[in-house]
Amino acid sequence: MLLALRDVGKVWLITRTGERVSALESITLDVAPGEFLILLGPSGCGKSTLLQIIAGLEAPSSGEIRFPPVTPGAAANGKLTSMVFQDYALFPWRTVMGNIVFGPEVRSVPRALREDRARRLIELVNLKGAEHRYPHELSGGMRQRVALARALANDPQIVLFDEPLAALDAQTRRVLQDELLRIWGETGKTFVYVTHSLQEAVLLGSRIVLMTAHPGRIKLLVDVPLARPRHLTGRAEAEMLDRLDAELTEEVKRAMAT
Amino acid sequence: MTASHARRIGSVLGLLVAWQLLIQTGKLSELFLPAPLSVLATMWDMTRSGQLPWAVLVSLNRVVQGFVYGAAAGVFLGLLAGAVAWIDDLLDPWVAAVYPIPKSALFPLFLLWFGLGDPSKIATIAIGVLFLVLVNTMAGVKSINPVLLKAARDLGAGRLQVFSKVILPGALPSIFTGLRLGAGMALILVFITEIEATKAGLGFLLWEAFQLLDTKQVFAGVVTFGLLGVASTWLLQWLERVGCPWIQRSN
Repeated sequence: MLLALRDVGKVWLITRTGERVSALESITLDVAPGEFLILLGPSGCGKSTLLQIIAGLEAPSSGEIRFPPVTPGAAANGKLTSMVFQDYALFPWRTVMGNIVFGPEVRSVPRALREDRARRLIELVNLKGAEHRYPHELSGGMRQRVALARALANDPQIVLFDEPLAALDAQTRRVLQDELLRIWGETGKTFVYVTHSLQEAVLLGSRIVLMTAHPGRIKLLVDVPLARPRHLTGRAEAEMLDRLDAELTEEVKRAMAT
Repeated sequence: MTASHARRIGSVLGLLVAWQLLIQTGKLSELFLPAPLSVLATMWDMTRSGQLPWAVLVSLNRVVQGFVYGAAAGVFLGLLAGAVAWIDDLLDPWVAAVYPIPKSALFPLFLLWFGLGDPSKIATIAIGVLFLVLVNTMAGVKSINPVLLKAARDLGAGRLQVFSKVILPGALPSIFTGLRLGAGMALILVFITEIEATKAGLGFLLWEAFQLLDTKQVFAGVVTFGLLGVASTWLLQWLERVGCPWIQRSN
């Protein structure tokens, strides 16, 4: 086990009205090494908040996160988690190379080492030739590749994805989904991936966490034992889709009613 | 050369020729509007006598000092206020109160405090530049996408690194906007501060020529001010191109 969430909750205080809104409630979840874990749920179910809590960017209001004891070597070089944001969050004033080396740079990895690592990552995400371009000179798909390479540059054990493909067109999304699976396989990293797309969840996930909205709770944990490569039109995939679709629809309806 | 270029050059040359002809045919008196060629000749004479270069040097010394002090303070305080909330709280009421004051109105006070020499003029220019640069720097820091700060922290950046590697470059385009506005303000203020209580400078030269009704010299001063304005704009645009190569520019 890489990471354990025990009874994690998050309450937002709306300053204007003084209301307390419960975004997450009693989230208990183990993340296993090497899995492709999907956090699936309707808008407002707190899945992005959960991701930020795992990343350490937000503190939970209750409960705890347990990280395993880190081996001395890993502590020096790697980082436990790295996030890929939905809107890329690339630094506009840094080139592709400059963005990718940001993590190692602020963590004082020597220049030659971090640039060497960046070059290998640029090859991994198929960005060769674009090293010296600025983000505004890239397409959306290329920007997301840069964001992924930048996250991997810190050699994290877990890569966190916050709806990374939501802003892309359908074709680009398909291509990048395949790339993500390839990179997941090649790096052996653990992926925790937030999406509201059922199809994406079934295509990518080795395990799916279905969440409810208002407050965000875990409704269902589903293993996806389907063989890869997967196709949405395959029989086993279609059955899985139908099953999850029924659950998710119920959740969306409930969320809209409240 | 494109048609657009031709029109621009034609516009300038056409007006200058018409202006010259109006005076040579006696339709306008040179006392009110000296011909372009007379202005040019006057500028040449004043340059050869050393009068104009000396005036420019004296004024530039005031402008550059005032600009550098004001801009440095403006950038420093603006970044600090943008990055640290409580400094923003301390600074904000003062910015709101002093920003709307025409900075030329502070000149008499500075004369009182710093005397008739250069320091009072430099202080007036510095204050004028400071507030423009400060306000733009603060706006630049606030315009930075908060997700970028989050991403930097997620990648392992500490507070100082977030400041130097995200907040500073993120605010740089706005800082340059402030510097360009500040440069214009510095030229306005150097003229105003050189009208009274001084014996040298481009503003002094221009104002003295006016009192002697030497319209040609007045024009020479005006044109020189214009050239200084163009030069400062070019210089800052070049600096911005070097400093912010990532900004998308048309053409």
